Amino acid sequence: MSNVAPVSDGSQDLRVIRVVVNGETHTGMAESRTLLSDFLRHELGLTGTHVGCEQGVCGSCTVLVDGELCRSCLTFAAQVEGSRIETVEGIADGDELHPIQRAFQDNHGLQCGFCTPGMLITTRALIESNPDPSEAEIREHLSGNVCRCTGYAGIVAAVQQAAREIASADGGGA
Amino acid sequence: MTQQKLHTIGNGAWRKDGIAKVTGTQVYAPDVAVPHQWFGRVLRSPFAHAEIVSVDTSAAEAMGAVCLTFDDVPKVRYNERIVSTPPHLYRDRYVLADKARHVGEPIAAVAAPTEALAEQALRAIDVQYKPLKASLSAEAAMSPEADALYEKVILGTGEVAIENNVAVRRHVEVGDVDQGFAESDLILERSYTTVPQYHAQMEPKSVLCEPARDGSITVWASAQSIHNVRILLGEIYGIPLNKINVRRTLVGGTFGSSIQVNSVVPVCVGLALKSGHPVKIASTREEDMHSHLRYPSQLTLKMGVKRDGTVVAGEMDATIEIGAHNIQAFPFLGVLAGFFASLYKMPHMRYNGKAVYTNRTPSCAMQGFGAPQVHFAVESLMDELAVELGIDPLEMKLKNYVGLGGTFWGHGPTVKSIILSDGVPELLERGAEHIGWADRPRPEEQTGRHRRGIGLARGFHTSGVGQPKAQGAEMIDYSGAIVKINEDGSVDLAQSLMDHGGGTLEAIAKIVAEELGVPLDKVGISPVDTKTTVYDVTTHATRGVYAGGAAAHKAAKTAKAKLLALAGRMLEVMPDALVIEPDEELGQGVIFCPGMPDHKVTVGEVARHSHVNSWGTIAAVESVRQVTAPPAYVTQFIEVEVDTYTGAVRTLRAALGADCGTVVNPILAAGQMEGGLSKGAGYALIEDIGWDPETGQLDSKGFWIDGKTPSVSEAPLLGDVTIDFADTYEPTGPFGAKGIGEASMNPVAAAYTNALYGALGVRFYDLPVTPEKILAALRENEATTGAPVEARRETTMVTS
Repeated sequence: MSNVAPVSDGSQDLRVIRVVVNGETHTGMAESRTLLSDFLRHELGLTGTHVGCEQGVCGSCTVLVDGELCRSCLTFAAQVEGSRIETVEGIADGDELHPIQRAFQDNHGLQCGFCTPGMLITTRALIESNPDPSEAEIREHLSGNVCRCTGYAGIVAAVQQAAREIASADGGGA
Repeated sequence: MTQQKLHTIGNGAWRKDGIAKVTGTQVYAPDVAVPHQWFGRVLRSPFAHAEIVSVDTSAAEAMGAVCLTFDDVPKVRYNERIVSTPPHLYRDRYVLADKARHVGEPIAAVAAPTEALAEQALRAIDVQYKPLKASLSAEAAMSPEADALYEKVILGTGEVAIENNVAVRRHVEVGDVDQGFAESDLILERSYTTVPQYHAQMEPKSVLCEPARDGSITVWASAQSIHNVRILLGEIYGIPLNKINVRRTLVGGTFGSSIQVNSVVPVCVGLALKSGHPVKIASTREEDMHSHLRYPSQLTLKMGVKRDGTVVAGEMDATIEIGAHNIQAFPFLGVLAGFFASLYKMPHMRYNGKAVYTNRTPSCAMQGFGAPQVHFAVESLMDELAVELGIDPLEMKLKNYVGLGGTFWGHGPTVKSIILSDGVPELLERGAEHIGWADRPRPEEQTGRHRRGIGLARGFHTSGVGQPKAQGAEMIDYSGAIVKINEDGSVDLAQSLMDHGGGTLEAIAKIVAEELGVPLDKVGISPVDTKTTVYDVTTHATRGVYAGGAAAHKAAKTAKAKLLALAGRMLEVMPDALVIEPDEELGQGVIFCPGMPDHKVTVGEVARHSHVNSWGTIAAVESVRQVTAPPAYVTQFIEVEVDTYTGAVRTLRAALGADCGTVVNPILAAGQMEGGLSKGAGYALIEDIGWDPETGQLDSKGFWIDGKTPSVSEAPLLGDVTIDFADTYEPTGPFGAKGIGEASMNPVAAAYTNALYGALGVRFYDLPVTPEKILAALRENEATTGAPVEARRETTMVTS
């Protein structure tokens, strides 16, 4: 039993963290040692961000911090003070599913669903930076997100569909 | 071969749980929280084998933590997997260990109001250990110098002595093997080694227990059967079952790792009972890696065949390492024999299996149970025999496989079924065509750096563990369901069955919709707990749709009979003259009498009429045991490309075939095949949870990055995988369906090693076949045949 982080007595170490999550300002308490994943899940009650390994390997906990992909299990809450954070709960527009969410649903790009929030956020970052990704680019971009159920076929197909739909919606609006 | 017109079964409907999963609102066990909950942490052994001399919790308690040690837990020895019937259930463990038998074994636990305090308190516990000699392989454990893990364990109502650390032996014999080998023209004998694959389910095991003043508890836990969690907790803590409620949360994958009640669950309950507070334990990934693994095996397989390829005799010796606890070694040894006997007709067969305790992580079921191990050996040896005889492996397998009318030993020697549906010939033909089997590359034709090969392996998994015996079975196997037609004609399906993500409950909702003749969106899957549902054994053995679905189907039939009786009363028509069909425009099931078009009413109208006239609720509860366990067949052709400079293997194409009877949802069924290919590829080529041979520490030290599982980079490209479903109908299954899940992975490793033979002309007998093993084999091949692999490697190094 090796990889245990040092612990402090948290009681003297609480601070206020103010962040904008999915467009809304949230204020919560965190110790210096509190991880962003725990802050989102336990303090703000946003349990859609899943913790699969707390080692930065599986990608389930991926969120966007000021538009950049971030492993929330490797980030302290104190580091994101004042930042804009996007989690899986903020992808949909009200009751309207985002094309990425619809694509994962349409293509059965999920089974147990535990990795799905991280996959969706990672896909969102990909399509924003590269609206027309090739299959090889999709694979490269998702290679840090583990899914143990699907064998990835439905996920890759979902990302392709999402990119197509977003491109055609953008094209239509232009 | 569908026997009736189907409305819902067979289409690729959306998942009912899809919206919750893509919006982050789905609740998993780690997400559950209740007010004023405390946090539990588990103190785990740093030693692979040690006496526990003393545990001092005074410093931890002085901090305000509540501690749990061996002295606090009930002195009830149990087996955490209560699927075997009591006479076949080996019980060797307590809630906390009396002695450390593997690194990571739970020794003590704490609960505290904050996670930080719990962690601090955990470190303040002082445990004195007296290390013992650790046995880190079966061979070491069986040697006379080894320290015993156990003197005695409990079996049934008595104790059995454990000698040489051998937990269980099983022997099965059919015909006269020695005579069979004497009649054979060709005999090959090979030894195959498989490794302890880690489940790597995304959700680390989590549990929350909330105690109440009246002595009752409510539990949320990662589980494959909420009822087995309840029954086991009742046994351990002596709580009446009506005071234990286990609530179902969706589970983030399991692959077999929660058939047993995971060890943190009774620990958490102990902490909650002692502290009087709700306590939650969320395992870390490192703790999870110390808790469950696939059974590693050493199989020595000998098969004798006639010159024309007819199999005459087979003999298999199996040694499996079970780790520090016997979770299901007895059924495991049984399925090795059963799956061996069921792959190919073998007039003479002998099997000897032994399961050995070692000071390693306890092994348990993982997708396929013993089938991937047996398939790897048998499908490899059949390929080798065919090549040796100069016969096409496909033809030889087709000639000998156990098919229609044959006897299938579904889950060991005591679960036998006559095979009533068989899509193997069709699947082999279609797969061979997709992959170009007839023109497959041959090893002797291969030159150059990159070599291609196509491998074939086939096999099956059992659909459940059902059998006709009314008493004395080795395993419990039944499911229940409640189907209720609501006052507006919508339907609630309340079933305690767990859906691990594959879509079992989605499929069962379709079975209910189909039987009741209502649109699929009219059937809701109820959130459930143990207090309001009937028993379901566990979602394992590929039984979900076949056996769990059969229970729901029966409940739907009973509810439908009541519905039609009431509709008949309304319409003044004999109920037997009525039929129901879904009307998508109305969004309702419509009940009518063919030939009397004006005698028509919707399911909703009957339900409302029944409600306002106080005729009662239209509902049914059923509990069903299937009496057979049919094989879900699969065929797998895999094409690989090997880089002979690096040893890297790329999956170019795969042609997969599945015979799951009626395909309830083709997209979800295809998802099973794709997932099985990925986990099978990991098993074949990558995954190996190793230990330090001195200390018993995991090589990965609990880090997933060093216990690698396949990523999207290893998966074949879209369009390079074909999936065929056989056109079969299983007469004993709901609407003709049987299983698929575990079958998808069983032959994959052999398909890879056979493909590697096709590419390199080299046989591999030890999994995983890593690049290092491939390079070593190529070098050895070069030494014996003069094939200049090494020279090419050096050339590259110079030029690059």
